[in-house]
Amino acid sequence: MSLHGIRTVAGLELKQRARTSRWPIVLLLWFLFVAGVTFLSYKALNTAAIKAGPTLYDVTTFLVLGLSMLVVPSLTATSVNGDREAGVLATLQTTLLTPADIIVGKLVSSWAIALVFLGVSSPFLIWAWIAGGIGFGQVVGSLLVLAFVLAVTCAIGLAFSTLTARTVASAVLTYLGMAGLVFGTVIVFFMSFFLVQNREQVRYYGIPDSFWQSQPTNADGSPSPDAVVPTVGDCRHLTREENVIHTERIWWLLPMNPFVVVADAAPGRVLTNRDVYTGFQPMREISIGARAARAGADPRERQECNFGNPGDPAELPPLQSGPIYPYGLAFYLALGAGATWLAIRRTRTPVTRLPNGTRIA
Amino acid sequence: MTGDQSAQQPASGGTATAVGGIEVASVRRAFGSVLAVDDISLTARPGEVTALVGPNGAGKTTLLLMLATLLVPDHGTIRIDGFDPVTQPGEVRARIGWMPDGFGTWDALTVREVLHTIAAAYRMGPVEARARTEAILELLHLGDLADRRARVLSRGQKQRLGLARALIHDPSVLLLDEPASGLDPRSRIELRDVLRSMAAEGKTILVSSHILTELQEVADRAVIVARGRTTESQTLDAVELATTVGSWRITSLDPDRLRSWLHDHHVPWRAELAAVEVEVGGDEQAARLLADLVADGIRITAFAPSQGALEAAYLAATEDRQ
Repeated sequence: MSLHGIRTVAGLELKQRARTSRWPIVLLLWFLFVAGVTFLSYKALNTAAIKAGPTLYDVTTFLVLGLSMLVVPSLTATSVNGDREAGVLATLQTTLLTPADIIVGKLVSSWAIALVFLGVSSPFLIWAWIAGGIGFGQVVGSLLVLAFVLAVTCAIGLAFSTLTARTVASAVLTYLGMAGLVFGTVIVFFMSFFLVQNREQVRYYGIPDSFWQSQPTNADGSPSPDAVVPTVGDCRHLTREENVIHTERIWWLLPMNPFVVVADAAPGRVLTNRDVYTGFQPMREISIGARAARAGADPRERQECNFGNPGDPAELPPLQSGPIYPYGLAFYLALGAGATWLAIRRTRTPVTRLPNGTRIA
Repeated sequence: MTGDQSAQQPASGGTATAVGGIEVASVRRAFGSVLAVDDISLTARPGEVTALVGPNGAGKTTLLLMLATLLVPDHGTIRIDGFDPVTQPGEVRARIGWMPDGFGTWDALTVREVLHTIAAAYRMGPVEARARTEAILELLHLGDLADRRARVLSRGQKQRLGLARALIHDPSVLLLDEPASGLDPRSRIELRDVLRSMAAEGKTILVSSHILTELQEVADRAVIVARGRTTESQTLDAVELATTVGSWRITSLDPDRLRSWLHDHHVPWRAELAAVEVEVGGDEQAARLLADLVADGIRITAFAPSQGALEAAYLAATEDRQ
């Protein structure tokens, strides 16, 4: 692998793409779409009392990530087998370019295009930063994480494009792979709750069953008008058996999700204080939820002695663990490196075995 | 060129032998249950043009893919300028120029950009790449097409671009798969001249083709393959050709007299449109036959071999085909 080789391939790819696709129109549509959604969100959410900034930031970031997940795989998912079909891959393979030059060159060029899309949407991220009190570091940090996730997406598409002979097959597989990361991780997480739940004794502070049993009832068992309403004074420290879900055993599914990684990586948030609620903030909610899932089953006493009176114990804030995005970044780094390694291996020549229907030249 | 060739010799202690050119020994390659190349052996020497001829599906393209370091043979050995394409692909790639059959090209790039890219892929710097590109454009008369996009080129023009691509790094071994297909007559003649001058520079040239008459004019030797096997390897040498039995075609202003003369002299003949064809054992006999005909006052307007020696050998080698 050499810089000269990578630059040669990346330059070739970029020149090809720049001239064969209608990028100005695609980028304009992308810009208008992101602009429209951001503007409408701003109009809907910005009031004198609540700044729309944090919400705007969340909405725009997720929109850009979601749209990128649709666009970016198409940049690489047919890259290698498409070149093979067009008969131009072997032309490069018989030169002094190494398979690593070819694959890394393709990766760099497709990532560069993905970054152009990100760049086009950045005015809105910066607007959101200005509109609400979001730190500059947060914007830069999230942009870096987004850019990294997009690079991994490119690598996954590239790997699939070396695995199948037909471009349709690799495109479908790449989208399925992305769906697996985006939806599959969340679905599997929630569906595997039954695997990690136990009947356990949990502590709670509330009204004992004996209180209800001591109340007079009508003949048909319905509460009698003579029944007394419980007060704080009736609350006791008690235990009961409950289904406890040990999400600390399956939390690692969540940082495999690109949205969770991006949401959790956004720094500078007061995550534990749910009362400071300033509107719809999906990233914040996801981050809180994912960290709580990692912390797992809550060993604290349940506070059920709420009667709406001042001085009642407030609902406990969700359990927190350390940030989970480093795990996500490590997973994506391994995934991207693995995909790139596989793609390089699959582009090596001379080949011994040819899959059915594969052409070399 | 001599400097180049001494540079190609591997350092002592390498596994490569000092022999230049292409050496193929008992190579075999199957794709699943389909045996594309069964047992091909051939030698192509530096300074010669070697023709690889055979019917469709004979294994020519598969053999060239193995020579071009893209495919590993199941069995047998290949040496290109003494290097093994399987274990030393880098060494081989630096020395070969491969022009595939029916290749594609990057549609959006101009001819000049394609050549710049390939030159860069051979690790040439920008200055050297530009110089080589201009030299090759000149050599192959592609100058006026240089700024056209590859997409708009005709098939023959694409073929010339393919040849240019194969020559950009001044390889010592040329592997050309059907280089003449789609070329107009002038381009064919130019191709022939280019190949002859390359051979004269000491390069090894292996050309696969169907156009036997073209090959006969350019090739020094021919290797005939059929059903994945080498059936014959022959020198297209003037001395040898002179003694081979071949068909000659005779056209006369007196066709009836010609036929009765042949009949009277017990020369077997068959009618071919207005002409007749006779089997003659070599140039010597042909010359005598012509002299006899003219001496007997038969007005001959044309007297020429009806098929080339290569064509005859090819037809003989492949006649068992269904």
